[in-house]
Amino acid sequence: MNLDAALETYVVESQELLTQMEESLLAFAQGSVDAETINAVFRAAHTIKGSAGLFGLDGIVGFTHTVESVLDQVRDNTIPMSAELATLLLHCRDHMGHLVDAAASGEEIDPERAAEGAQWQGKLGKYLGKEVETATGKIGGEGAVAAFTKSATDYWHISLRFGVDVFRNGMDPLSFIRYLSTIGDIVAVIHYAHDMPPADEMDPESCYLGFEIGLRAATDKATIESAFEFVREDCRVSIVEPSSKVSDYLALIKELPDEEIRLGDILVRCGALTQHELDAAISLQTRPKLLGEILIDQKAVLQPVIQAALDKQKQVKESKGHESRFIRLDAEKLDILINRIGELVIAGAGISLSAKRAGAVELLEAAATLATLVEDVRDSALQLRMVPIGATFNRFQRVVHDVSAELGKDIALSISGADTEMDKTMVDRIGDPLMHLIRNAMDHGIEPTAARVAQGKSAKGTVRLNAYHDAGSIVIEVGDDGGGLKRERIMAKAIERGLVTADQKLSDSEVYDIIFEPGFSTAAQISNLSGRGVGMDVVKRSITDLRGTVEVESSEAAGTTIRIRLPLTLAIIDGFLVGVGKSVFVVPLDMVEECIELTPASREETKGRDFVNLRGKVLPFIQARKLFGIDDVRGRRENILVVRYAGQRAGLVVDELMGEAQTVIKPLGKLFQAVKGIGGSTILGDGRVALILDVPGLLQHVHREAIDGVLKAA
Amino acid sequence: MQQATAQSQQFAAGGPGAASFEPQQYLTFVLGGETFAIGILRIKEIIEFAGLTTVPMMPTCIRGVINLRGSVVPVLDLSARFGRKSTEATRRTCIVIVEVEAEGVHQDIGVIVDAVNEVLEIPGTEIEPAPSFGTKLRPDLIRGMGKVGGRFVIILDTDRVLSTEEIVAVGDGGEAGREPLQAAA
Amino acid sequence: MLIEQNMTIYTAAELKPLILAEVRGSESPEFDLAAVSEIDSAGIQLLVLARREARSAGRMLKIVGVSPAVSESLSFISLAAGTHMRREDGAPDRIAAQGNGEART
Repeated sequence: MNLDAALETYVVESQELLTQMEESLLAFAQGSVDAETINAVFRAAHTIKGSAGLFGLDGIVGFTHTVESVLDQVRDNTIPMSAELATLLLHCRDHMGHLVDAAASGEEIDPERAAEGAQWQGKLGKYLGKEVETATGKIGGEGAVAAFTKSATDYWHISLRFGVDVFRNGMDPLSFIRYLSTIGDIVAVIHYAHDMPPADEMDPESCYLGFEIGLRAATDKATIESAFEFVREDCRVSIVEPSSKVSDYLALIKELPDEEIRLGDILVRCGALTQHELDAAISLQTRPKLLGEILIDQKAVLQPVIQAALDKQKQVKESKGHESRFIRLDAEKLDILINRIGELVIAGAGISLSAKRAGAVELLEAAATLATLVEDVRDSALQLRMVPIGATFNRFQRVVHDVSAELGKDIALSISGADTEMDKTMVDRIGDPLMHLIRNAMDHGIEPTAARVAQGKSAKGTVRLNAYHDAGSIVIEVGDDGGGLKRERIMAKAIERGLVTADQKLSDSEVYDIIFEPGFSTAAQISNLSGRGVGMDVVKRSITDLRGTVEVESSEAAGTTIRIRLPLTLAIIDGFLVGVGKSVFVVPLDMVEECIELTPASREETKGRDFVNLRGKVLPFIQARKLFGIDDVRGRRENILVVRYAGQRAGLVVDELMGEAQTVIKPLGKLFQAVKGIGGSTILGDGRVALILDVPGLLQHVHREAIDGVLKAA
Repeated sequence: MQQATAQSQQFAAGGPGAASFEPQQYLTFVLGGETFAIGILRIKEIIEFAGLTTVPMMPTCIRGVINLRGSVVPVLDLSARFGRKSTEATRRTCIVIVEVEAEGVHQDIGVIVDAVNEVLEIPGTEIEPAPSFGTKLRPDLIRGMGKVGGRFVIILDTDRVLSTEEIVAVGDGGEAGREPLQAAA
Repeated sequence: MLIEQNMTIYTAAELKPLILAEVRGSESPEFDLAAVSEIDSAGIQLLVLARREARSAGRMLKIVGVSPAVSESLSFISLAAGTHMRREDGAPDRIAAQGNGEART
């Protein structure tokens, strides 16, 4: 029995469909409505309902049925799509999400939520009630069963023959029939799919059942077929369409030759045929046919049959294509693989080193080949972890839609760089900080509509999300076209909070950085969304935890942009090895611009100050020896490694330049969290541990020291 | 009976796991001329003192990190952690790798000791609660006093001694922060 | 015979001998399903089997009392046996499962 696995698949698929629905509904809310998208939303709701029926999830079936009914009429242009309806449908979508979640956890839905759901459903009912009193029957709290209009043309006949293992595969044929009963009125007759063996040999866990079902419903073939999507492999389904001729039924009968007479009887009992029709048909079969009759027969029979065959082929093809293109993978397995490759990189470096020491040229060559291969494997492995950030960005469409409604502002979200790829772990962890920044931009950044109009700005505000790669980092920008940060207000608040003193001379960016201080909030009015003073510091901390940085750019005319820089991956970096005394440090290679020698002459020139003249420009430098308190004898030669990060450039004075190496980042753990300037560690080819310099942290640390120095001196 | 209960309560207060009284094995080692013990279950291995990489800007009690078969493991100078002088490496100096658990996360920490003695079995009945003073150590770092051959060895509460949070906090506090580790007496 | 368990794939193997014993051992086999809180296709299949056995022995199978769950499940299924499609009276061969009223085949 793997019902749980089937349910899990259902939950995952439903969640994907709900996400699609959300995107489309948001588009509707913004006024872009097209028939194709409406159709897609309808199909999504329909599939969710259909599959829910198979699991006997009546709550989902009932609720979604109402949603589907409304969508169906939108599709038929009976109900116009409006922003208001889109918003209501968004709420309904959320409720469906809650229902699916509840089904996944096997719990009852929270009564409060249930009441909410009933409310949405009631509102949908109004759409249905007003527009279509005649066509659709009562749809209310019990909406599961809709009374469709009965006419001579809506009679379907469905033949089901279940496989022997269908119970063991966790399916209950009854649930399909139960689902069909939500589409319309059914008459189902049990029929043996396989001859049930004598009682003593009959296996109670095997399925010997088949069904002949008469269904009265205004629906289409695809809808009925979709009900059996989960058992396609385990069940032979034949559907005879309402307008079918007697000959179609005969074709069905012929398909199951050994059951011919019985089936004919059943069809009569289900109401598909009258006895007279059957008798006539059977006698027709037995006498030679006229050419015309045969042609009519063939046309009538063949067309649906061919169509069904084609449909089936297409479905099989589609599902197969899907399977081969994507593999669902446990992220942990990927992590293990990447760790192993990390070990391989270290081992490879060890071999190279030994080969070099031994001077074995052939071995050295082999090691080099190996290293290239390992590098390739590493890159592909890391690539597996990279996902475009677009999905995360798109999630915020909904947030912006909802929050602008709450705030009574008209705000659009513009997204660019959605294809930019980054590590899955990062994507997962960047969502919350982004959420806060977006809410903050909407609440505090963008002015109320009236104020915007008064300033001659467009009434509609814009929040921008952008992502791009830059110097081995990924940059994510959250921007708004609001009024920008108010330097004076921030200063006043900061002074009031004791974060700075009134006489401190701070640059704009230093002032803006204050908003990330714990307990700082400038909102004069505390709103529901932000302004409680928690958040910006948390945002900063979560980004720092990802080895990233945040900077703020703001102007009164253009609004505020918050720029987040993150490393591409957390696992492996290309490093540049430098020696200071006996210690070896690793500098991330993509931050290294160049290396220059610090000759005794140029050292003399610095006169004890920490900067040199680099081709006419001032290059401040950090003395690694001094910073890290390494008191070995200074090397005979010294070098400056020029590093660049986020537009800042600085030199790092080291003794020895040891070249490039791939390094696997080994986290240093909590114990070393507070160390500024060290980002992690790695194991060198000779087994020693080398520390990885955290260039951004280092620059910040040095910057701060410099300011402190200036302040002390002042 | 009454007394035993009182004693066990004191033990329980001494640290988690202290309540287990079945005979347990302990590793004894020397540090600054004194003998200490750690429950053997927490000890993963003992390695020679070599290949240490210093991490700058850390309190003196954190000597650095080592490569333990591909994992980077921090190494603690126990003597410095107790507020005494740093351990000077000799030929007998060892690193004892101890597994600590905090908030469900297991981490290995290396502990520098002057010399490793032996593995002993100390029955629960032979363990006295830590005195509130006289050991020159903060009492909460001590799990109990084990009687071995008429002498006392200090059984350390490894979770407390190697508490990452406390080491970080003390590290931040600098010189002043290290004070409370020494007993008031 | 009173059935108190669920009649599902999980209990089918256990129920089968009990049901057969009732059908074979009693002159007028009957089942009380009023206490069955869950029934699925495997359970229904057992009822089909029971009826087939009863018929082949020339007996009439009675179902006395159905629970709401059984009633719901049977409400859209009619138990037509493959061997006897039409009864003498030509009426649908269906268990009329209405609440806890007596229903018989």
